[in-house]
Amino acid sequence: MSESLFACLYQPPLPGAGMAGSEDPAPRTVVRGVGSVVRGVGSLDPTIPAVAASHTRNPLVAIAAEFSPRYEQHRADLVSVDVRGLSRLFGSPRAIGAEMRREAASRGVRVHTAIAPTRMAALVLAIARPGLTVVPPAGAADALASIPIGVLEQLHEDPQPGCGSATQVRLRADEAQAAIAALKRWGLKTLGELATLPSADLSARLGRGGRVWQAVARGEDTRPLVPMQPEERFEGRLELEWPIDAAEPLSFVLTRLLEPLSTRLERRDRGAAVLHVELGLVTRDVHACRLELPTPLRDVRALRTLALLDFESHPPAAAIDTVTIIIEPTPGRILQHALFARPHPTPEQLSTLLARLGALMGQDRIGAPALVDSYRPGAFTMAPFAIEQPPASSSNPPASNHQSPTAVLRRCRQPVPARVAMDAVHRPLRVTTDRRGFAGGAVLSCAGPWRTSGAWWEDDHRSQNLEGRSQNLKRLPDEKRREDGPWSRDEWDVALADGAVYRVFRDRVTDGWFIDGVID
Amino acid sequence: MLPARVDRSVLLSALRARRLDRTLTSALPGIDPHDEQAVGLTGLPALDARLGGGLPRGQLSEVVGPRSSGRTSLLLQIVATATTRGDLVAVVDALDMLDVASAAAAGVDLAKLLWIRGHVVTSPGLCRDLNQRAMEQAVKALGLVLQAGNFGLVVLDLGDAPTDAVRRLPFTTWLRLQRMVEGTQTICVLAGSESMSRSSAGLSIKLQPSLDVAAGAKSATDAAADLQVRRSARFVGQLLDGLDVDARVTRARVQASDTVALPFSTKVARHV
Repeated sequence: MSESLFACLYQPPLPGAGMAGSEDPAPRTVVRGVGSVVRGVGSLDPTIPAVAASHTRNPLVAIAAEFSPRYEQHRADLVSVDVRGLSRLFGSPRAIGAEMRREAASRGVRVHTAIAPTRMAALVLAIARPGLTVVPPAGAADALASIPIGVLEQLHEDPQPGCGSATQVRLRADEAQAAIAALKRWGLKTLGELATLPSADLSARLGRGGRVWQAVARGEDTRPLVPMQPEERFEGRLELEWPIDAAEPLSFVLTRLLEPLSTRLERRDRGAAVLHVELGLVTRDVHACRLELPTPLRDVRALRTLALLDFESHPPAAAIDTVTIIIEPTPGRILQHALFARPHPTPEQLSTLLARLGALMGQDRIGAPALVDSYRPGAFTMAPFAIEQPPASSSNPPASNHQSPTAVLRRCRQPVPARVAMDAVHRPLRVTTDRRGFAGGAVLSCAGPWRTSGAWWEDDHRSQNLEGRSQNLKRLPDEKRREDGPWSRDEWDVALADGAVYRVFRDRVTDGWFIDGVID
Repeated sequence: MLPARVDRSVLLSALRARRLDRTLTSALPGIDPHDEQAVGLTGLPALDARLGGGLPRGQLSEVVGPRSSGRTSLLLQIVATATTRGDLVAVVDALDMLDVASAAAAGVDLAKLLWIRGHVVTSPGLCRDLNQRAMEQAVKALGLVLQAGNFGLVVLDLGDAPTDAVRRLPFTTWLRLQRMVEGTQTICVLAGSESMSRSSAGLSIKLQPSLDVAAGAKSATDAAADLQVRRSARFVGQLLDGLDVDARVTRARVQASDTVALPFSTKVARHV
C-alpha cells in the first residue's frame, strides 16, 4: 500500500478585493415549517430549477474533482485532495502539483498548491507559501518549522453540515484567535517553536485546543479527510404509453417512481422535505402539486398516499400521459425515543392522517386550537398540529386536580336568533326560538347582564352618525362581522324550564337577541 | 381439555381466561387500577376510584347526558388530564361547538389537542341532510384517527346533535369502532345526549342535572338568588360549581371495588 499523499489548493484573495470565491459553498436544504399540504396548479415551483442550478461548482472543487473523487472543501477558498496513487498517472508528486496548477490556470484561477504526506501539512503550506510546494515523506514538521505562527489564524474551517461529525475536530476561527494570542504572549514566533513545546504542559494551559494547534504545527492530521459527495438530484419521470385518468393506475405509477427514489434517499441518509408531483396532461397542460411534509419522509406508502390524496382532492382537468416526481431532500433525522414515554404517531402516520382529515373535513377545519389576545367572545385561531413538543415523562405524574370540574360553555359558532321577553325590571322572562332543538321556555333563574364591547374603533362607518350606522348593521351577525367587526352586547345566563342553562345576549347595535351557547 | 359435561359457568370462566372470543362474554378480565397501560385517569379521584382506576384503554366509553348536565365539563376534565400526562388527544367536534377559552380554563394543553371541527349546520330547522352528513363525516374522521393509532385519547363529541341523526347511523358503526380501538392504548370516548353505542360501549357514564329547577321546587326568585351567589365570579370556572349532577355508571365491564361518591354527584348507581 502506498504512503498517504495529500494536495491542497488555496485561492488567495485578490489584491484590493474581498475574499475571492466567497460564495456560499454548499446550498443547504431547509425543511419548511410544519404545515399542511400546500398545493398549486401550474408550472413547478420556480425554486426547483434554482435548487438544481445552485450546484454550480466552486472552481477549486471542480479542479479537485478532476484529479480524485476523494476531496474535501474546508472553505470556499481551500480544498484538500487525496492524491495517493496518482503517481502512476502523472509521475512524481511535483508533477501532480504542476498538473494541478496547469488545470487551475486553464480555468483562470490563481492558486497556491502544496503536496505533503499529511493533509494538515499541505493545508498550512498552501496557505503560507505561494506557488507549488512539495514536501518529501517524513519531512512535514521540518517544512512547517519556519512558518510564522500567525498562519494559524487563516486556518479555520467553515462548518459543513452533513460532512463530518460533531466528534471530529474542526478548526474554528474564534478559538484560533484566542489560542494564538496566548502563544504570541509566550513569545512564540514560528510553528517549529510551538511544535517543540511539551504537550502535557501545553494542554494544561490551553486545554484540548492547545494539543490541536500543536498537532497542526507538527503537520499531524487531527482527523481523516471526509470526502465530499456531490449533491444528488432525486427526480423520476415516466412517460405513459396510454393516458390514465384514475387514481388507481396512478398509484402504480407513483409506486414505480417512488421506490427507487426512496432507496436512493435511504442510501444517502436523506428524507423528502418537499415532494413535487408534476402531471403532464394530454392537453399539454401541466398539473403540479407541491406537498410540504411536516417531517422528512422516505416511506413509499406514505409519500404515495399523500400524493394520491392530493390528486383525489384536486383532480386534473384531463388524462395524464407523463408523471414526474421531484424530491427536495434534507438530512435524515436520528431520534432517540424515550423508553417510558407514551408512543406518539410516527411522522408518516401523522402526515397521512392530517392529509386524510384535510381531504375529508377541509384543511381549515383541523389543527390545534389556540387562544388569541382578544376580549371578543369565542375568539380563537387554529394552529398547525405537530408533535414536536417533548412528551411529559410518565415518571412524573401530573399534579392531580382535586377541584371539581368547572362548568364550560358549548358555543354556537353561529348564534341562534331568539326572542326574549323582559319583565318590568328588564330581566328575561321567557326565551323562545324557531330553531329546532332549542325548546326555549320560561326563565326560572337568570344572572346578568354583563356588558362587553370592542373593535368599535375598526368600524368603517364611524364617520356616519349613530342612526345611519345602526341601520347599516341591523342584520344578523354574519361570519365576517363576528370575526372582525365591532361588537357590543349584553350577556345573560338563563336557566330555562327545559332544564338547560343558556347564555343569551342582546346585540346592542341591532337590538336582536341570540343564543350564544349552552353552559354544560 | 375440558370434561365432556361442564357447567356453563366453568365454560365461561375458561373462555374469559383464554379470551377466546369477547363476543361470548361481556365482561373483561379485571384491570389493575394502577396500571397506566390499562386505564387512563379522568382527573377526578373519586370517579377514578369508582371506575376502577379510570377510563379503560382499548375500549369505547360513553359520557352521555342532556344539556347542562355537566357532560362537557367532565369531558374537558378528561381531556385536560390526558394532555397533562403527555397523551396526544384528538377531539372530533361534530357540530363545532368547542369553546376554546373554556378548554384552556379547564386546563387542556391546547398544543397537544388535535381539533377536528365538523361543519356547522346553518339553516334554521336543522336540515336533516346536513346533520346526517355532519354525523357521517365525524364518524369517518374518528375512524381515521383511530386507524392512525397512538393517540392517548380520542373523543367524538355528538352533544347537541339531533337524536334522530345519531340514530340513523348504522349500528355496526359502533361495533366497528370498538373493534378498531380494541387492543390499542387509546381511550375512545363518545359524548352525546343519550347512549348511542349500547352494547359496544365498555363504560357508560350517564349524567343528569339534579338541580330541581325543572320541577319548579324552587321559586324562580330563589333559584335566581342561588345562581347569583354562585355566579358572583362570572362564568369562568365557577359558574356552575355546586350544581348537583347525577352521575350514573350504567355500564362497566371493568371491576370496581370502591364506592366513593363522586364530588359532583348526589346519586351514584352502578349496573354491570
